[in-house]
Amino acid sequence: MTLEHFWLLFTGLATTLEITFFSLLFGSILAALMTLALINKTPILSQLARLVILFFTGTPLLIQIFLVYSGPSQFEWIRASWLWDYLSQAQICAIIALAFNTAAYSSLLFRGAIEAVPTGDWLACKALGMNRLQTLSVIVPHALRRVLPSYSNEVILVLKGTSLASSITIMDVMGYANQINGQTYDAIMAFSAAGIIYLVMNASLAFMFKLLEKRALRFQSK
Amino acid sequence: MNTLQLQLLLDASKVTLGLALVSLFVGLLLAILFCAAEMQKKSLISKAVSLLVTVLRGLPEILVVFFVFYGGTHFLFLLTNEFYNISPFWSGVLALSLIFAAYASQTLRAAIQSVPAGQQQAAQALGMGPLRCFLRIVLPQAWRLALPGLGNQWMVLLKDTALVSLIGVTDLMKQADLLSGSTYKPFTFLIVAAGIYLFITVLSQWLLKHIERYLNRSNPIDSEVTQ
Repeated sequence: MTLEHFWLLFTGLATTLEITFFSLLFGSILAALMTLALINKTPILSQLARLVILFFTGTPLLIQIFLVYSGPSQFEWIRASWLWDYLSQAQICAIIALAFNTAAYSSLLFRGAIEAVPTGDWLACKALGMNRLQTLSVIVPHALRRVLPSYSNEVILVLKGTSLASSITIMDVMGYANQINGQTYDAIMAFSAAGIIYLVMNASLAFMFKLLEKRALRFQSK
Repeated sequence: MNTLQLQLLLDASKVTLGLALVSLFVGLLLAILFCAAEMQKKSLISKAVSLLVTVLRGLPEILVVFFVFYGGTHFLFLLTNEFYNISPFWSGVLALSLIFAAYASQTLRAAIQSVPAGQQQAAQALGMGPLRCFLRIVLPQAWRLALPGLGNQWMVLLKDTALVSLIGVTDLMKQADLLSGSTYKPFTFLIVAAGIYLFITVLSQWLLKHIERYLNRSNPIDSEVTQ
């Protein structure tokens, strides 16, 4: 394994971070919508959210990625439509699968956090004559702060999950590690180097969330 | 999809289940070892195991699987200067049980530590030896506390078994992929395979709920709190 190979792994890091970022962005938006549907018990939407959660938390991520990547090609009408421009790109497929996967797990976290807000807060809002939207604008910031510690785990799971994108031809850190292993047969070095990159990334993410938690949870530090 | 293809998927599900159960067994043994090692205060071995556990938790699961499989072959080559074909199934078992143990050992340790110290002191006062005290007093209580966490990790393990399809084990995931390739109907086969995974996880969840209820039968207040 040469220095050039190390640079390759770093090139892959850009892809890894890109997929992580967009999956988390879309995933958290989707999770917020699903949580809203769940706590408001919106008909149809809350059942749909439940179905998404059941499917994406109950099946392996790898099968979800394959399903998004190679599943649509079975249907002629999808191949003929504008959707195909997007669904034929591996990176977009990986982001869709990861976003739904993380949305399913995070909406469970979000709902748990909202349910953990003391009933007194809800009653106080009611006593002040707030409507549903105003009430949520009081409750949600509290819940968001409390969800930070468990959400940081979810972020790390997504970063780790992006490595599966290499199985659908994406050249992320794991993809390049596979390529280097194939070219040099130096499996121990190739995967160790990739492992160190993932470890450093995860450690920095965990550290950043620790700092964020400290700021967000200042009010209960005494 | 015809019956032959369904049969292939069901046979492959047995491989997935077998892999998961063997990894669970080996993983629990490893977890107990890790946990015992980490509870040795201020020893080199406890630090080494802590480091191993941290590293295993920070690495993508697929990297651990590849490292064991390709790295294992590479290691044997460096050692003996000959190429050995190591079994993908057993590499998978080793990788999955290591990952399982890294998480499960933390659950076990937390459970053992949350059994009140008074329980041990009482056992001591009654003249029980340390091993008997651990087996008869601490373990039965810790086991109940650890079960929900271990149950979650079993579910994670079950889903992680799909990763061994990438090192050539013909499990449910691999079989679904093979059938998709040969029939040009990827959606059908992947969704059926996903359904089988879902069936297994939902069934496990149901079973675990009943086991938990059974274990907490003498303690109705506790069981309400944990649910």
